[in-house]
Amino acid sequence: MKRIILGGVSALAMTASAGAAEMGAVDEPIKLAINEWTGQHISTHVAGQMLSAAGYKVEYVTAGYMNMYQAMADGDIHAALEIWSSNVSEDYAKQVEAGGVVELGDLELAAKEGIAYPAHVAEMCPGLPAWEALQACAGNFATAETLPAGRLVDYPADWGTPGADRMTGLGLPFKAVPAGSEGALIAELRASTEKKSPLLITFWQPHWAMSAYDVQFVDLPVGEDACFNDPAWGPNPNAVNDCDFAPTRIFKGAWAGMEEKWPAAFEILSNYTLDVADQQPMMGAIDVDGGSVEEVVSGWMSENESKWKPVVDAAVN
Amino acid sequence: MSLTQDLPRRLSASRGTRAGLLVLAVGIVCLLLEQSLPWLSIWPAEWTVPTTQWIGDGLGAVLDALKPAMRAVSAVLEYPMAGANWLLNTIPPVLLIGLVAALGWYLGGALMAALGFFGLLFVLGSGYWSESMNTLALVFVSVPLALVLGLSIGILAYEVPRVKAVVQGVLDVMQTVPTFAYLTPLLVLFGFGPVVGLIASAIYAAPPMARNVLLGLERVEDEVKEAAVMSGGTRLQQLFLVELPAAMTQLLVGINQCLMAALSMVIIAAVIGGFNDIGWEVLLTMRKAQFGQAFLAGLVIVVFAIVIDRLSRALATERRRYDWRIGAGIFAACALIYLVTLSSMPPVAELAWFDGAAASVDQSVGEFTRQNGAGLDSLKNSAMFYMLLPLRIGLDQAVLPFTWGFQWTPAMSAWFFLAAAVIAGAAALSGRTTLATVLGCLAIILETGVANLPWPFLLAGVAGLGWVAGGWRLAFFGVGLLSLILLAGLWDRAMLSLYLSGASVITCALVGGALGLWAALSKTAWLVLQPICDMLQTIPLFVFLIPVLMFFQIGEFSAFLAICAYAIVPMIRYTRHGLVTTPPELMEAAQASGATTWQSLRDVRFPYAVPTILLGLNQTILYAFSMLVIAALIGTTGLGQSIYLALGSADVGLGIAAGSAMAILALVADRLVQGFAKAQREALGL
Repeated sequence: MKRIILGGVSALAMTASAGAAEMGAVDEPIKLAINEWTGQHISTHVAGQMLSAAGYKVEYVTAGYMNMYQAMADGDIHAALEIWSSNVSEDYAKQVEAGGVVELGDLELAAKEGIAYPAHVAEMCPGLPAWEALQACAGNFATAETLPAGRLVDYPADWGTPGADRMTGLGLPFKAVPAGSEGALIAELRASTEKKSPLLITFWQPHWAMSAYDVQFVDLPVGEDACFNDPAWGPNPNAVNDCDFAPTRIFKGAWAGMEEKWPAAFEILSNYTLDVADQQPMMGAIDVDGGSVEEVVSGWMSENESKWKPVVDAAVN
Repeated sequence: MSLTQDLPRRLSASRGTRAGLLVLAVGIVCLLLEQSLPWLSIWPAEWTVPTTQWIGDGLGAVLDALKPAMRAVSAVLEYPMAGANWLLNTIPPVLLIGLVAALGWYLGGALMAALGFFGLLFVLGSGYWSESMNTLALVFVSVPLALVLGLSIGILAYEVPRVKAVVQGVLDVMQTVPTFAYLTPLLVLFGFGPVVGLIASAIYAAPPMARNVLLGLERVEDEVKEAAVMSGGTRLQQLFLVELPAAMTQLLVGINQCLMAALSMVIIAAVIGGFNDIGWEVLLTMRKAQFGQAFLAGLVIVVFAIVIDRLSRALATERRRYDWRIGAGIFAACALIYLVTLSSMPPVAELAWFDGAAASVDQSVGEFTRQNGAGLDSLKNSAMFYMLLPLRIGLDQAVLPFTWGFQWTPAMSAWFFLAAAVIAGAAALSGRTTLATVLGCLAIILETGVANLPWPFLLAGVAGLGWVAGGWRLAFFGVGLLSLILLAGLWDRAMLSLYLSGASVITCALVGGALGLWAALSKTAWLVLQPICDMLQTIPLFVFLIPVLMFFQIGEFSAFLAICAYAIVPMIRYTRHGLVTTPPELMEAAQASGATTWQSLRDVRFPYAVPTILLGLNQTILYAFSMLVIAALIGTTGLGQSIYLALGSADVGLGIAAGSAMAILALVADRLVQGFAKAQREALGL
């Protein structure tokens, strides 16, 4: 439901932008939200450096991802550049409805969510990555809490229960355990890799842990709309959700007053997109090699001017 | 012969027996009818009232009305915040280190100087200097706020005995309703940024101060008070010039606890954001499950807590002051170092003396997990199978071939109850009728499990305990509050929370009491335990979730450990404090009459310490419930999870309702314990 509404809003926003615009209040800093994960830092700093190149002052403000939308509606934060439809707070929809927050369209960062496992688990369940293999070896994933079913570590409860929905839909004998937090998901991956113990987990990419723990996705039946509405569709004739995850949309949001105050900046951010192929190596350079976000992003900016300069130029000139 | 003749008299004798029999009867009836009347164990959804909806709607209007005034408060508070922030970030680190070391010398000599110097040097070397200064600015504003608030509340409760009970209820609510539950309304009211964190931390840190003020004032000796009255002071003079100074030791415990609580809430400011503080670093590293790095950032908060705590304590208790000229010399030396290194000093953010250590701590956690995977698993499984699972879902569901090696059958239940009946009967015949009924009830709990208890049985149990401990008023209080949870439809989640925190409180009371006793008897023990207590209380507990998760994975055992780590501290601290603060006259009297160490401990020090230890138990109960929210981060499913669900869906009503349900459980549990304690004290003539 949430996804459908957001999709509609996006379509409206996309049509709004074209051509050069006024600069607006260049002396006042534009405040961009810095949330809790590295990928978001990269997306935000790229956008921030684009705004700087256009002649704006930019300020990076740390903000909790789950509860920043009130601040955005109040104009304390002016834009957030990586909002995931899979775990966005419903406060976002409420603030959009109330008129304090507007959507700035897709970031076009291709995300994938799925049922995943660290590579070593493939030996414990022959037949992976095909999903049918899980039917037979569910017992290998069983623990004290889930017996006799296997254990699937699902997203924290407040992100929804997509993993549990897949298990029910596909009729797999797994019991989903909510993780509680992203840190808990990572700790599970780490412990499983250290101990070479079995683990089935709901996970997503782009994420630095995908390569750090060699995480693989289970191949699920490719989904289409019918899968989510029509029980008859798919391998399980009696249930919906018997297919892969619905695609995740990653989009941008802004304070509603932004278009008037900084018209050119609003246009730059609306047209800004970032490719996974660009974000992922930067994530590695920061989380694995220990670089600072500013330096890594600056390096990328100077090497890839063609990817962002046209957006800035179109808005300013 | 006499046994049978006595029996009727004995059975009708005590209040406990009558209450126990009633509860037992309700329990047995519930068990017998459970199959035919399912609403006895599961409260039907049709009977619930849409409380969350009402709260959400009602609060919306209230919030809109209050918003302008609160935004003004928020704007005013931003000035001292910004001022402290500017000041702390402008002073060059080396000069600030010199200043603190010099102050340390002046207050407490070489030891304090070294503590200040090396403590802050550690912060500098960690590379988190400017983040720490932001954090410190927040604490500098929130602690005075909390102290004034706590002092006023404490004095109010002392001066106006009629409101004391209400005030204590309010304090409990302030400490147990988790901040996450009212974070959304707080953000609406005060806007975005550090002020929200400041207010949240002041709300949480004021109650320990208020409680200790009240306890301290109540324990001022009558002669002291009379002397103040006779010397003709006004009431205010008596209070501020005589009674409060006389209560100073207890006030210091309060200040200390207030500081610790404020620092422990720093993480909440980070969850909101708007402020690049040390808590934010903890959150970032926690999200990557980097224990070493999160621990390093967390240690910075601990170091602050220890330095502030020790210096403030020296300021208040030590009469002796050290030569200020040496202090000035220390400062001058640091100033010189500053001038000499001015050009070669790298930016503070680039210092990373401990990154190697942090990385190796992190690796050793991984290494430990790899080496001991099997042992850790079997430890967790034993604790789950033999303790936590039976407590939660009862023997009838927890005993399976996979867990205990055999399947529990209805016949076994019958045998189990028969054995319980025989033991209880024996107890009754030997005159311990109350004990007999209690054993009967425990047998029911153990067989059914806390999460599956029929609600009439639990309500009857609370009513019975309340009636025995504090009469009809307490009974009505408990049943009334718990019924609210039933009506709100949060009962099953509340029972999961009750089971988890109950198991933790019992463990903490036993282990923490023993450790507190040990610390009271041995100075060395306290030297070891004190920094650990400080650390557990101030380090953001998120940090410990990582190794616990690595070792034991997502689940209730991990949550249980995390709750215990936090809630055990007040039990240790207060037990020790109560035991070591026996007035010297009492000790001398005991020694003069020839009592051995153990005798004086048992007969003099322990009875004197009982009120303080009970305050510790009160804090342990409240801490355990307040940790449920953090525990939800490792995937528990009780009320804590509801609070995150509410945050995610911006459902103010659900957040407040779940938070209130948590507070109700803590409040009822605490009042029952305190009621029994009071009865016990009266019986002992204290």
